[in-house]
Amino acid sequence: MAAEEETVDLEDTENEQESKTKKSAKHDSGAADLEKVTDYVEEAEISSNNLDDAMKVVSDQQTREAKAKQEKEKELSKVKINKDDVDLIVQELEIPRMKAERILRECKGNVVEALTELIN
Amino acid sequence: MPTNNPLPPKENALFKRILKCYEQKQYKNGLKFAKQILVNPKFSEHGETLAMKGLTLNCLGRKEEAYDYVRRGLRNDLKSHVCWHVYGLLQRSDRKYDEAIKCYRNALKWDKDNLQILRDLSLLQIQMRDLEGYRDTRYQLLVLRPGQRASWIGYAMAYHLLKDYAMALRILEEFRKTQSQPKAFDYEHSELLLYQNMVMREAGMHTEALTHLHDYDKQIVDRLNVSETKADILLKLGRSDEAGAIYRDLINRNPENWAYYKGYEESVKLEAVEERLSFYKEVTERFPRATTPKRLPLTFSSGETFRNLVDQYLRNALRKGVPPLFVVLRPLYSDPEKVKIIEELVLGYAQCLHETGHFDKDTSVEVEPATVLLWTYYYLAHHFDQTRQLQRAMEYVNMGLDHTPLLIELYVLKAKIFKHSGDMEEAVRMMDEAQSLDTADRYINSKCAKYMLRANMIQEACDMCSKFTREGVSAVESLNEMQCMWFQTECAAAYQRLGKWGEALKKCHEVDRHFTEIIEDQFDFHTYCMRKMTLRAYVSLLRLEDRLRSHHFFFKAARIAIQIYLHLHDHPLADSEQDSSLDTENLSPSELKKMKRKQRKAQKKAEVEQQKQKAEMERREQNKNKAADGEMDGPKEEELVPDKLARTEEPLEQAVKFLRPLQSLIPENVETHTLAYEIYSRKGKLLLMLQSIKRGFAADPDDPELHTCLVRFQMHVKSQGDLPLPVQTVINQEMVKIYGDKDPNTLNEEFLQRHNNSLEHLLAAARMMYALDKTTQDKALRLATTLSTDTDGVTLKTCTRVLECLCGGNFGTCEATIHNYQTQCQALFPSATVFTSPSPCSKTTPEGSVLTNGSVS
Repeated sequence: MAAEEETVDLEDTENEQESKTKKSAKHDSGAADLEKVTDYVEEAEISSNNLDDAMKVVSDQQTREAKAKQEKEKELSKVKINKDDVDLIVQELEIPRMKAERILRECKGNVVEALTELIN
Repeated sequence: MPTNNPLPPKENALFKRILKCYEQKQYKNGLKFAKQILVNPKFSEHGETLAMKGLTLNCLGRKEEAYDYVRRGLRNDLKSHVCWHVYGLLQRSDRKYDEAIKCYRNALKWDKDNLQILRDLSLLQIQMRDLEGYRDTRYQLLVLRPGQRASWIGYAMAYHLLKDYAMALRILEEFRKTQSQPKAFDYEHSELLLYQNMVMREAGMHTEALTHLHDYDKQIVDRLNVSETKADILLKLGRSDEAGAIYRDLINRNPENWAYYKGYEESVKLEAVEERLSFYKEVTERFPRATTPKRLPLTFSSGETFRNLVDQYLRNALRKGVPPLFVVLRPLYSDPEKVKIIEELVLGYAQCLHETGHFDKDTSVEVEPATVLLWTYYYLAHHFDQTRQLQRAMEYVNMGLDHTPLLIELYVLKAKIFKHSGDMEEAVRMMDEAQSLDTADRYINSKCAKYMLRANMIQEACDMCSKFTREGVSAVESLNEMQCMWFQTECAAAYQRLGKWGEALKKCHEVDRHFTEIIEDQFDFHTYCMRKMTLRAYVSLLRLEDRLRSHHFFFKAARIAIQIYLHLHDHPLADSEQDSSLDTENLSPSELKKMKRKQRKAQKKAEVEQQKQKAEMERREQNKNKAADGEMDGPKEEELVPDKLARTEEPLEQAVKFLRPLQSLIPENVETHTLAYEIYSRKGKLLLMLQSIKRGFAADPDDPELHTCLVRFQMHVKSQGDLPLPVQTVINQEMVKIYGDKDPNTLNEEFLQRHNNSLEHLLAAARMMYALDKTTQDKALRLATTLSTDTDGVTLKTCTRVLECLCGGNFGTCEATIHNYQTQCQALFPSATVFTSPSPCSKTTPEGSVLTNGSVS
């Protein structure tokens, strides 16, 4: 039974493909090209042996960067900020809380400095 | 419940085919295979199959079922990366990108190295411009698949977009090294090299970029780009001779490109006018048919030289009958000397042609064809329209019409002259005439519709447009579908003038949605461009999309929306109030009856029309469902209902939504900040008001509207009681920078002194004078209503604005002055309809609205 259905399906597939080509023929080529934009295409592989060297260069940089970023975040998270100050910034400047906190941290908790920064 | 439910081989094969069908967009087949699995009671609740079925249904446009199936699938198999991935894809198709990213992250929890999911995640990240996230995901992809081209390119591009050029270049270079010798005419490889070069130039590495171009010269197929880039780099490096030689070649290749001439002049340092002239003369001799080398010298020459050159230029064009001659020469009109020379010349032609049929007294040559005189009249009409001698313009356009009564260009021009003299109705009549002479010309058709909108004839404009829009759909709808934004912004302005706030807001929101749509349309190109290697074009696409809302269409729509929301905040609609503010008080009972009857009729007609449309919509909807390949067109958007828009609970929040893109993308326009000030002053947010005036001050410290903000802010701060200490500190510290130690009166007085010659500025100062001290009414009115010829900017537009301010209560009650002013203006602008009584004060015009009628275009 399954086999039978499969053959039916195959025919269907063919029909559909046929109707598709008909359709694209009807359109002008621009529309047909646009259609192709969403097609799924499998990537071709590069055949090369130097990939390892190349990869090494890249991965070193990546680790260094991740580390630097982490340190900066750590630095920032150490800054003590006052909840009232955050409330004031959110209230006065209508920005998301997250952003307000971050700016305040970057200004080392100085609310006047943060506000000045934000209205510039 | 099965945690991870592997299918037996046969079903598994079927499942794989579902996936394949999905990729190949064969959705119907996909559903069939899914059914084959699900009919088996053992697998009827198989999570991944259910999810895939849902996803396929989604592609066929059956959204609700899709969500049911996908959710059911997920519930049955919470630990399957497929189910999470599918749920993410579904959310993505509904543009809930944040949700989609969460789903992908969940999916990656169960299968952290799944390529497809990582790829999809990276697409969302670049779409949302989460560049750092994008870089990290691209890194994972590179580690997993170093053998794929896209992995390298994507990773390099992430660094490029993060402006880490060195790293981007390193990756690109490593990748380039892995490429074996490219085939001949390998376009994709060529694009890769040019992209690499572009990154180098953006990093400021000009020498390296030049060497790079040189080294890979043979592999690059876009020859024009190589030449242009080389010339540009050489110029930047100061190697003028080489640059000049290349620009020379480029001019030979295309003598109409202005940029090549500019490059050439810069590189060989042509400065003296004679040198430049002889260069252009030489090019003209070589390319006698090219217009650019003839046009460019008109810009930098002057006096007799200019007279001779422009004489030749005009004669040729008039003889040939070049309609856009005036448009080509208009940039020269910023120089009064040139205007004078042109005027003398063309008036001379007109006279001689009229008398003898020659351009000048020399009658030895052949008689010019009759059309030359016609085009001369046409030019003169343009000329006097530009210099605002509208009566003379009218005379010449009429002479043209006497000469050739059916020339469409003349009607268009005549309409324009009427528009500039402030008589929109007559302008529409003319444009309609023009349109009727060639109903197959869409340009004239659109022009006519635009003029109708300027005259607030919205229904007529729609009817006009419908001659070219799709049949069976109303013109308005069809134009919206086609993102026809000139129509929509003009339409919004017309509704605004009519006081139909809701309708106007609907148009503004429609324009806003077009911009959202264009940003969404980017999505598919993230994969496509990477695959096709059109990387330069891709990067410029990303940059364009980043700044999309800086387009003037958006600015126009946003300005109207903000003005209306401000008005609605100040004067909310009462419950029973219709949102059209027709003034019924001044009408006699019979007129009132007539009007009501008219309104009823119009309403009925509109209803019938609506029903027709609805039926049509339904029909199309059904058709759409029938069509097997439903497209993923994003979520159905909430319908925009004018009345609902006009009755919003939070007009100021809505206004802020339109303001935000202006603030981030068009900070150099002072109007952005004056609009911001109006919003925030109503919200009472002192620091945001301060922010607006600070930024406005940086954009244009002398702007009249900004001046009123400055004065009002100072008054506002004074009237405030105790403020939180940090706020007070910031205000004090920033205000000193702008105001120094001046009080509002001094500020206004100084502004007045500085700009006592410009009507716009006088008006602003006068308004503030009255606002500061009500006893100065007389003096303020005198200042604002001056019409002396010594004052700059006594134009129809500014005088209209003055009248609006008088009527809008900016100077208290001043009936007599208004009446007087109107009479005076009427004498000055005889055709302008705004100054004919009854006074326009009876119409409520939104505060700060800009009447676009008189705009120079």
